[in-house]
Amino acid sequence: MAAPRSCALWSYCGRRWSRLMRCCELPGLRSSWPGGPLGARQLSQEKQATETHFGFETVSEEEKGGKVYHVFESVAKKYDVMNDMMSLGIHRIWKDLLLWKMRPFPGTQLLDVAGGTGLAWVLGDAEELPFDDDKFDVYTIAFGIRNVTHIDQALQEAHRVLKPGGRFLCLEFSQVNNPLISRLYDLYSFQVIPVLGEVIAGDWKSYQYLVESIRQFPPQEEFKEMIEDAGFEKVTYESLTSGIVAIHSGFKL
Amino acid sequence: MATLLRAALRPLRPPPGHRGPAADVLLRGARHGAGQLYPEHIPTSLLQKVLLAAGSAGMALYDPYRHDMVAVLGETTGLHALKVLRDQMKRDPEGAQILQERPRILLSTLDLDKLHSLPEGSLGQEYLRFLDVNRVSPDTRAPTRFVDDEELAYVIQRYREVHDMLHTLLGMPTNMLGEIVVKWFEAVQTGLPMCILGALFGPIRLHTQGLQVLVSELIPWAVQNGRRAPCVFNLYYERRWEQPLRALREELGITDPPMLVRALA
Repeated sequence: MAAPRSCALWSYCGRRWSRLMRCCELPGLRSSWPGGPLGARQLSQEKQATETHFGFETVSEEEKGGKVYHVFESVAKKYDVMNDMMSLGIHRIWKDLLLWKMRPFPGTQLLDVAGGTGLAWVLGDAEELPFDDDKFDVYTIAFGIRNVTHIDQALQEAHRVLKPGGRFLCLEFSQVNNPLISRLYDLYSFQVIPVLGEVIAGDWKSYQYLVESIRQFPPQEEFKEMIEDAGFEKVTYESLTSGIVAIHSGFKL
Repeated sequence: MATLLRAALRPLRPPPGHRGPAADVLLRGARHGAGQLYPEHIPTSLLQKVLLAAGSAGMALYDPYRHDMVAVLGETTGLHALKVLRDQMKRDPEGAQILQERPRILLSTLDLDKLHSLPEGSLGQEYLRFLDVNRVSPDTRAPTRFVDDEELAYVIQRYREVHDMLHTLLGMPTNMLGEIVVKWFEAVQTGLPMCILGALFGPIRLHTQGLQVLVSELIPWAVQNGRRAPCVFNLYYERRWEQPLRALREELGITDPPMLVRALA
């Protein structure tokens, strides 16, 4: 997400969208990392040949990273415009609420993963972050974790790089709790959004993936349990806009 | 009301043997691969087609460089006209052959060396010259996606690929003025809503000088020739490369344009 001007000290925040692999296994890229002060990290060797979802499609886990990459490479140029069009600007309110919950102050060491069109940036992999343990006060991820192939690994990494007392905050699409609104939301998502993608960005398929991937993401309670499994405590969530999105929060104690 | 809504949301041609979608699928669209009739096909509901048609029309007007939007407009609004065109082709021996063999005009299928070696004034030579002068390539045509019939998807693809031949036949360049003239000719020949809309609204983007000459000379000429000529989509152009362009124009009853419309330098 874009960095607000109100927060003074941001280290390692945001990611330049168009140039980055957000959530993919990319062993090759790691060798170009300067290493040094942030510590060397061993690459994970094993990759299972299991299947996973890519929207409503079934793909191998190996494939998913690359496919997600292509989606975001494709949407990068019109990312902000499309977000505004699709959510009628409401995504800005959601992100504001996330910041409000966070209450950052000068000196907060913040890591924003899958930062989109943010400011200072670092290239990395959410499942294997290029940072040492216990580094950050706050870890945020907004509309990113749903695209990660192994969400549990991303959560474990979040836990690792946070200082004791640090906070995990996730803003993500979730499950709508009201049946009528759910039907309207489905209607809008599947009938209108891919059309918007085609007309504005010339890209139907990426936006079809977008709305499908939202349905594949676990609902509020289940995601809360996943966060707890990663070692976080005092895990809570708050649904916004009838559950279209939710902010999950947890602490490393 | 609910039945109307269901009808609007159902993809227009459910695959054979399809029982009837559950409410969930109605709102969410078909599963991946279900209802796909050809490789690039994206099945769409009536509502999506309406939204696409409106959106693409608006976007094409707003940004004329969005050729993909013109294509989408053609696909989402052209079903009836494409059927009429297909039936016309079926009734003609040369047209029927095209429907059978489904030739494509692409760089990969064109024998460029052979075309270069053809005599001056031949269709092949003139077509190459047109591509050269206007700096276009036959490969920039996007594949059909939103036509829910596999044969009609070919017909519209053929229409797109023949479009460049029409430029050559009519002697029109690919600037705004030239495109509008060709659109008038195509509108009369095909009745495709996209051609009609393009012909009517395209001139909005012209300067008064161009507009004047368009209305007074070029449109009447294009319409006259469009009505007089037989269906130009019945011509197997790939087999007529050697034919002198002049002779082909005579065969079709296409007269010389009232003035020279120059391509941009």
